[in-house]
Amino acid sequence: MSTVTVPTTTTEHGHAAAKKSGSVATFLSTYVFSKDHKVIGLQFLFSTLLWFLIGGLLALAVRWQVAWPWSDVPVVGKLFAQEGGQMAPEFYTMLFTMHATVMIFLVIIPILAGAFGNFLIPLMIGADDMAFPTLNMLSYWFMWPAFIAFGASFFVEGGAAAGGWTSYPPLSTNVASSPGSGWGQTLWLIGLTFVGVSSMLGSVNYMTTIILMRAPGMTMFRLPMTIWAMFITAVLQAFALPVLTAAGFMQLAARMFATGFFSPEGNIVNNAVAGPGGGQPLLWQHLFWFYSHPAVYIMILPAMGMVSDILTCFARKPLFGYRPMVYSIAGIAGLGFIVWGHHMFMSGMNPALGITFMVSTMMIALPSAVKTFNWLGTVWGGKIQFTTAMLFALSFVSMFIIGGLSGIFMAATPVDIFIHDTYFIVAHFHYVLFAGTAMGVWAAIYFWYPKMFGRTMNEFWGKVHFFLTFLFLNGTFFTMHILGAVGFPRRLADAYHYETFHHLQPMNAFMTYCAIGMVATQIIFAANFFWSMFFGPVADRNPWNANGLEWTAPSPPGHGNFDYQPVVYRGPYEYSVPGVDDKDHLMQTDPPNAAAAAAAAASH
Amino acid sequence: MKRLSGMFWALLFLAVPVLGVATFAVAPSINVWLPSDVSAHGHEIDSLFYFILALTGVVFVATEVLLFWFMWKYDAAARQGEKAIYIHGSHTLEVVWTIIPAATLLFLAIYQMNAWANVKMRRPDMPPTVEVVARQFEWRLRYPGRDGLLGTPDDLHLVNDLHLPVDEDVLVQLKSMDVLHSFFLPNLRIKQDAVPGMKIPVWFKGTETGSWDIVCAELCGWGHYKMKGRITFVTRPEFDAWLARKTAEQDATQPIAEASGEIVAN
Amino acid sequence: MFAMSNHLRLACVVLVPALLVAGGCAPTPPASFRLNMVEATAPSAEKDSVSAELALTPVQKRQVATILTAMFGTPDEPVCLPETGLDPAKLRLAAGPVRSDIVGRKNGLYREHCVHCHGITGDGLGPTAAFLNPYPRDYRPGVFKFKSTERSSKPTHADLVRVLHNGVAGSSMPSFALLSPGEVDALVEYVKYLSIRGETEIALMQYFFELDDEDEGKLKETREFLVGEILEPIAGKWASAAEELIEVPEMPAEIDLAASIAKGRELFHGDKANCVKCHGVTALGDGQANDYDDWNKNIVKIETKLAAVATGDADVEERRWAAAFHEVLDGDALKPRTIPPRNLRHGIYRGGRRPLDLYYRIHAGINGAPMPAAKGTVAPEDIWHIVNYIRSLPYDFDGELGADRAVAAQPSTVGGLVASKATPASEEN
Repeated sequence: MSTVTVPTTTTEHGHAAAKKSGSVATFLSTYVFSKDHKVIGLQFLFSTLLWFLIGGLLALAVRWQVAWPWSDVPVVGKLFAQEGGQMAPEFYTMLFTMHATVMIFLVIIPILAGAFGNFLIPLMIGADDMAFPTLNMLSYWFMWPAFIAFGASFFVEGGAAAGGWTSYPPLSTNVASSPGSGWGQTLWLIGLTFVGVSSMLGSVNYMTTIILMRAPGMTMFRLPMTIWAMFITAVLQAFALPVLTAAGFMQLAARMFATGFFSPEGNIVNNAVAGPGGGQPLLWQHLFWFYSHPAVYIMILPAMGMVSDILTCFARKPLFGYRPMVYSIAGIAGLGFIVWGHHMFMSGMNPALGITFMVSTMMIALPSAVKTFNWLGTVWGGKIQFTTAMLFALSFVSMFIIGGLSGIFMAATPVDIFIHDTYFIVAHFHYVLFAGTAMGVWAAIYFWYPKMFGRTMNEFWGKVHFFLTFLFLNGTFFTMHILGAVGFPRRLADAYHYETFHHLQPMNAFMTYCAIGMVATQIIFAANFFWSMFFGPVADRNPWNANGLEWTAPSPPGHGNFDYQPVVYRGPYEYSVPGVDDKDHLMQTDPPNAAAAAAAAASH
Repeated sequence: MKRLSGMFWALLFLAVPVLGVATFAVAPSINVWLPSDVSAHGHEIDSLFYFILALTGVVFVATEVLLFWFMWKYDAAARQGEKAIYIHGSHTLEVVWTIIPAATLLFLAIYQMNAWANVKMRRPDMPPTVEVVARQFEWRLRYPGRDGLLGTPDDLHLVNDLHLPVDEDVLVQLKSMDVLHSFFLPNLRIKQDAVPGMKIPVWFKGTETGSWDIVCAELCGWGHYKMKGRITFVTRPEFDAWLARKTAEQDATQPIAEASGEIVAN
Repeated sequence: MFAMSNHLRLACVVLVPALLVAGGCAPTPPASFRLNMVEATAPSAEKDSVSAELALTPVQKRQVATILTAMFGTPDEPVCLPETGLDPAKLRLAAGPVRSDIVGRKNGLYREHCVHCHGITGDGLGPTAAFLNPYPRDYRPGVFKFKSTERSSKPTHADLVRVLHNGVAGSSMPSFALLSPGEVDALVEYVKYLSIRGETEIALMQYFFELDDEDEGKLKETREFLVGEILEPIAGKWASAAEELIEVPEMPAEIDLAASIAKGRELFHGDKANCVKCHGVTALGDGQANDYDDWNKNIVKIETKLAAVATGDADVEERRWAAAFHEVLDGDALKPRTIPPRNLRHGIYRGGRRPLDLYYRIHAGINGAPMPAAKGTVAPEDIWHIVNYIRSLPYDFDGELGADRAVAAQPSTVGGLVASKATPASEEN
């Protein structure tokens, strides 16, 4: 790539982009309470990466107990010095509850929509910022009460919430049923509400921006897949979240004002009468899963979109089946609203619903399969450059196949009778969420890092990071499938006193070693991430020779993003266009190229 | 050099289907597989599991090997003079790989409805054999007693130690006293959440005498892991004798002399 | 191409946090018994004059701890003096961290099954204890509720086995029936060990008040004193429990059940037994209900005294002692709860549901709880009539309310936030 001198950014918005020395107010408005979508995106990125570390450490404590129950736990064991370091069983229930809560609500959802959605949407559609910059800033700062609530919950009496991230009543609504169902659970609900508000604010912004602020020539069907994914994810958030927020309020009311939404009468919990009753535990499950099933698509669709962009760039090929890919995302989202009952097959709901939800759940595998085939089609016949980002993107495809196929087992309701609440389920969602989405997130970080920070991450250490993570994650999670086949249940602090599971301790020990390796490997990533920010090679505008709009802006873009208003002449993914010989791709902003058009007409 | 590294990455991805299949192939021989099935309906569930395993196994191997093959063959380092194929898709392929999976998935769904109905919808017309009340953190059992009715003074109350007659249809009335629990019998392929405020029937038939685990499969608090129960199938005469003995113990008005080591229950 | 130094720089950045993490993973020191701080600060024997002078000095506390370690060992390595009458092999099976010995049996049974409620010292102060209703048993006073012996006697080995086997219905004590008999035996032995140790600790602490000047404020560390005077009386009570069984007459053979129940109802409401005073006229447990069991009474007494110190004109010494005791109460004691009388219409009996068990409860009362002994006031066959009446109670109102239990309405507690630690939780069962 030729070196391009980066022009100084404009001052259209009435204040200089450069910091005035000594002005606290300017510092605050530029870096803290910024309304610039890129700053907000980075704020989300740093916050979620920190919580990723915390969630990972919680998982290690969980894995330790599963592998070596009642042994002296490192670091955490200091809290149980009287007992020689062995953790108490309620502590274990708190660990897996908060691991899941942190990972889902404070890491995956905010990093996809908040970090990447924020950073990329205006850049990729050719806008100078989001439609509602102040609302955008608020959507970040609404996360902080959630951070504080969840963080504080670890230190209250009874500890953090311990009723599972699914928070089923009556366990979670009744203070007497579990130590974590006291203040811990109340703070959990408060945190959840703030995360929900933040997401809803964000989703409104994304939908409006994408619909109204696209550059001239950027029709909907010229949008990169990242934007389609972010758009449909935002629609999912907007329609599904209110149900969760309402359910959260109902649970708060049940705990604070003794409304009996979810508790039947006649309950005796911890040897005390549980309250007036009149409610149904199943009501919570329906409301919760009505949101939380679309939530799992919220947690993967953006990654799918980003992976499409990265695969095409490093295969130097157009996306195979652009429109089917878009329709598949829409199909996943639409079908996602009518499958929630598959989390409740064993719940005691009318078994006839087991039939209806089985059909819809089986069908939702279809659009995901179509996407997978199209990714394979994209890689086929390409000219693959094995950069770190590409490796992570390819592994997304490979691992998503595993996660998606394992889902078919649990969609089959008779089989689910056996594997529900076993490690088969744990394997499934860790493959789609960690081996899938998290790999996609890393791909995106390595890919868009130059655009965010103006430097590239170190490729060698990136590949070391990829290789070790790939090995260790498969070591940790693949064997969970066969553990689940034995019927090894989830959420047990000690499974080995059951005859059926007695012999599975060595395998669990192996998995824990792999998990420790996996978390330790992230030190390499963290070091690379921060070191490259200051010492990495300076990046020009388009280090990967990609063709999205964001690669026409400086690295990093200044306030207002583009040097001039971009105009779009073609779709994304115009790589290896025949008839274009000086470079192997056409940017979306490249005007019509006569030779290329002729060659394209000839080849189709 | 670059070609070598490309081959390395492709081979790493080939390890996925190879080791994946190997894991599932080796698992049964190291006893990390479906536990023994002693129920009348369990084989239906197990065969569905195997059917799906075979189907997904084929798709898994095919797609992962394809991915490996494309990574190997289309490495940029191996195609230095060439350009990538400039193609935006194939309408025919899209139709094919939409219709075939859709038909397969729909078939799978319909194929399984009968098995589900057998276990969860076609309840036998019989009075409950035993009532199981899940509680933090034990399984409280109640047998109807001599009058055959639950809820009368002659009921037999026990904890955790469920005995049932073999080769007979059994109906369990499942309840919960406090929070959600789940009645999971791994060796009978039975699982049903115990919901406070609901009385849920669970039916099955044991085909072998012996003892197996009862596991709680829904988080119920700190003692979730402690809710170990045992289900024991005995012949009908043995079952009647056991019931009579336990009832006599429950009605004891004098201390029962303990034989060496034998522990008298309840 | 990067210069070598950049790789080195990066490698250092990786290694430093890695080393820090590795350093933080030092193993926790082995488990240790906790001193009975409540007893050390406010001896239970001094019923009405709790005061600063009675608290043990740090030197005295250290001496007690040293003696106990010599006599009883540590949680990982128990010492089993022959005078205790306990089996050292069983103790070794129950003690120590959870592990397997070469033969393949599980050791550390107590830590695996009991410690998180009953505490490493058997003081009912495990991490989970504060959240349970009722609190787990504190073995140290040597008082046990559900047994077949007379009120002030110790339980027999079989009594404790029965408790482990059946659990305590209506409490958080689960049934361990599915453990092997050998494992149950080992756990019972360990409970006795912790109980004997606890009583020895209390006896040692109380002996400080019987020292002469020539003892110079220190206990004699001779075998004759420690084992002969302190340990043997305690162990002896355990040994003699089997001779103090309650004698249970046969239930009259030709008994008309209806007549017996009627007679039982009469006795229940009558003056001799006066059950209704606590259990209420409808047997719902809604009679008088502001009493405490012995474990909580001690703490209540101390809290009353602390309140007096705070409001009255106490001297500096007393205030310092009160401050020290506040600390003890925060870390080494649970907030006291009243013990409500049993709701007899539930049909859930903590000590067992056999007619025999109910006979034991009525005859001897419940040691440690306000339930008095009927022995001496009510004739033995009359006790059988009361037993029959009680067994009929849960089925009087068969039917609809809520779940399928045959029970009438209960005295209510505030729904939801029941277990507020400040107010005594109403214990329903």
